[in-house]
Amino acid sequence: MTRVDLAIIGAGPAGMAAAALAARQGLRVTLLDEQPRAGGQIYRDVDRAAALRGDLLGPDYTHGATLTAALKHSGVDHVSGAVVWAIEEGFALSYTKDGRGAQVMADRVLLATGAIERPMPLPGWTLPGVMTAGAGQILLKQSGVLARRAVLVGTGPLLYLTAAQMLRAGTPPLALVETATRSDLLGAMRHLGGALRGWRYLLKGLGLLAELKRGGVKRHVGATGLAIEGLARAEALSFSAGGKSHRIACDTVYLHHGVVPNVQAARSLGIAHDWNAAQACFLPRLDIWGQSDVPGIYVAGDSAGIGGAKVAEEAGRLAALHVAQAAGRITQTELDRQAAPLRATLARERAVRPFLDRAYPPCPEALAPADATLICRCEEVTAGDIRNYASLGCVGPNQAKAFGRAGMGPCQGRYCGLTVTALLAEANGQTPDATGYYRVRAPLKPVTLGELAQMDQTAQDAAE
Amino acid sequence: MKRYSAFAIAREALKGHTGWERAWRNAQPKKRYDVIIVGAGGHGLATAYYLGKNFGITNVAVIEKGWLGGGNTGRNTTIIRSNYLQDPSAAIYEKARSLYETMSQDLNFNVMFSPRGVLMLAQTEHEVRGYQRTAHANALQGVTTEFVSPERVKEIVPIINIDGPRYPVLGGLWQARAGTARHDAVAWGYARACSDMGMDIIQKCEVTGVTRENGKVTGVETTKGHIGCDKLGIVVAGHSGQVAELAGFRLPIEAVPLQALVSEPIKPCMDCVVMANTVHGYMSQSDKGEMVIGGGTDGYNGFTQRGSFHHVEETVRALVETFPMISRLKMLRQWGGIVDMTGDRSPILSKTPVEGVFINCGWGTGGFKAIPGSGWGFAELMATGHSPLTADFGLNRFREGRFIDESVAAGVAH
Repeated sequence: MTRVDLAIIGAGPAGMAAAALAARQGLRVTLLDEQPRAGGQIYRDVDRAAALRGDLLGPDYTHGATLTAALKHSGVDHVSGAVVWAIEEGFALSYTKDGRGAQVMADRVLLATGAIERPMPLPGWTLPGVMTAGAGQILLKQSGVLARRAVLVGTGPLLYLTAAQMLRAGTPPLALVETATRSDLLGAMRHLGGALRGWRYLLKGLGLLAELKRGGVKRHVGATGLAIEGLARAEALSFSAGGKSHRIACDTVYLHHGVVPNVQAARSLGIAHDWNAAQACFLPRLDIWGQSDVPGIYVAGDSAGIGGAKVAEEAGRLAALHVAQAAGRITQTELDRQAAPLRATLARERAVRPFLDRAYPPCPEALAPADATLICRCEEVTAGDIRNYASLGCVGPNQAKAFGRAGMGPCQGRYCGLTVTALLAEANGQTPDATGYYRVRAPLKPVTLGELAQMDQTAQDAAE
Repeated sequence: MKRYSAFAIAREALKGHTGWERAWRNAQPKKRYDVIIVGAGGHGLATAYYLGKNFGITNVAVIEKGWLGGGNTGRNTTIIRSNYLQDPSAAIYEKARSLYETMSQDLNFNVMFSPRGVLMLAQTEHEVRGYQRTAHANALQGVTTEFVSPERVKEIVPIINIDGPRYPVLGGLWQARAGTARHDAVAWGYARACSDMGMDIIQKCEVTGVTRENGKVTGVETTKGHIGCDKLGIVVAGHSGQVAELAGFRLPIEAVPLQALVSEPIKPCMDCVVMANTVHGYMSQSDKGEMVIGGGTDGYNGFTQRGSFHHVEETVRALVETFPMISRLKMLRQWGGIVDMTGDRSPILSKTPVEGVFINCGWGTGGFKAIPGSGWGFAELMATGHSPLTADFGLNRFREGRFIDESVAAGVAH
């Protein structure tokens, strides 16, 4: 079995930057990533798509090519198409690639598993034709596919970006329906001082909004009473905004109200997590280098807290430097010297975050959905079911599994975890921290029995 | 307690399902009880239930450090069978199996008992001889089992491959009246019935000490204060040693994690339970369609209720040879439960060196199937000081050398 100094999960900005830096310091690095090509979600398929659709996707996207280039020439063992499904003590990482199971041993592990979109359970959100804005981004980046009659619903900068990209591609959205209100924006103004340090982001946002306005994209702000209508598929979006009720007939609905850290891997390792009220999600407890309370396990990038691609990149480098120091490749002095500029960039890139968090809070209707709305899609559990479990004495998400199987389907609880915690916390009058989260266990992603069976064979062959 | 019935469903349907009551009261501890049972799993709740039902003792509290049914009751692979080798085991497991048959009616709670049959595969010559012997023993004990040919095995389980090169099927021990039940429902059904008899089920209440006077129990210290009692039943599989230590005695027990996993759901393809003891794997299909697979114990002692892959890979490899069609199924979840292991792989249902303290533990890898029989016998032991069902399972058997060796019939290689 291969043993490396550092195993990195996820080839997004954090993972790629960390891998390249660690390899440059002489560490033996394996980078495991689910996708066929490096880039992560933000720079998905950047090597191919930048040339094909770079003008559409914008310079922020094409920046990713610098990272993939650095990775290519780094000597990192980049295992693409590898789905990691277990991380055991020691650390043994089990993964599947091309239908075969395999393992790699690592002294240290960096989790750069990025973010997942915050699930947006609204009435009708499970109908065909409804997808997240992120899914729309995947279709666009990887395959150049865009919906013709689409409505964008939710909150956050990604919606503006998606709308602008659709506009540039000649298929503007029918409308941009925002759940954030003007008072959210006013509330965010007290963070404007900090945000001005990240003025590039603000400028970019204003630029996108201006572009949308020029393109004639209709915007509704402060939308409530959102529901997606349709019997067999999404046919229309209905909502109230500005004191009037609206109904927009459409084929596709893109939902988005922010992203949250993908904490499955960190949770499975028993890393302590704390509720972050500003981002309304759990964050792993980390030191200034990104190391968790499980020694040797680091978390960087959006999986450590939402900060965006630039933050991820520098946080990945910071973790890689610390690993290099821990492995005896660089001295403490060298570590501090190299870390200083990274920290400066990080502070600058993070400055805008409080403003964004406040200006684009998650949609309240989707955080506490109506009773009839499905919240666990795999097992078809509604928000009302969860509230009912609480009234029967259910105190936490793990007990909710026994009551009604929420979180026990193929998504392994990624999709409903935060909603179940929020609903139980509310119903029991407890904090999210006291309510807790699913105890995540391997397999992090479903693995076939055939792959499992054949792992044992591989191990035996190696022994013989 | 409002009874569950077709009529009740119809009535509630008309009222918009607003009239259902909580299944059990969420009780806070009183100052003292006649009997305290520590552990609100299947065995503990069954004990309380039969104390009330058979002996009229209802001033009972069942205390639980987590939530009821959250330990091994919620973690097992739900197999119910009674094809054991030794007479005392066959007696208690057969009592349990027969109680399962009428449990839903008895508790007025659907525990979904499904007598779908359990087939234990003989995959070595040694196992063939062993199961033939067990079939004879079962005939003498009045437990209906038969040793069947490989061809009959294939008839019972069409998806099986009986010609595997490494693990051929040479025959099987078939118990047609064995099966499965919904594990959570067993705990919930007993809890509802106990609560209805006026017993207190106290969750999130951990025992931190056992108070004694002149060698006799007087109560327990808990995270919810001191609770007095005349008799104390310890029924805490997985942590029996720790609670016994609080009471001041030791147990001949080791705690080991036992592994299990479950696949994604598929259409019905196997309507019985198959156990393959050579490879320590067993499999059944849940009502939802998932293949539920039990593995072996970890190769070390421990208390973590997590999955580990040491044996699972080995188990799955053998099962994939025996059931080729499952190889493309995805494993969705994997977990472990902490099992109490005794030297002879038989349980302990016994008085203890502390007067008034009784212990029910050591069910190893097969406690679920025994729940009603265990509760029945243990309640009798606690109420009267003697039960024919539990007489042979005393603690003193380890001192006196009267072992009840079930290391083969327990079903998993240890």
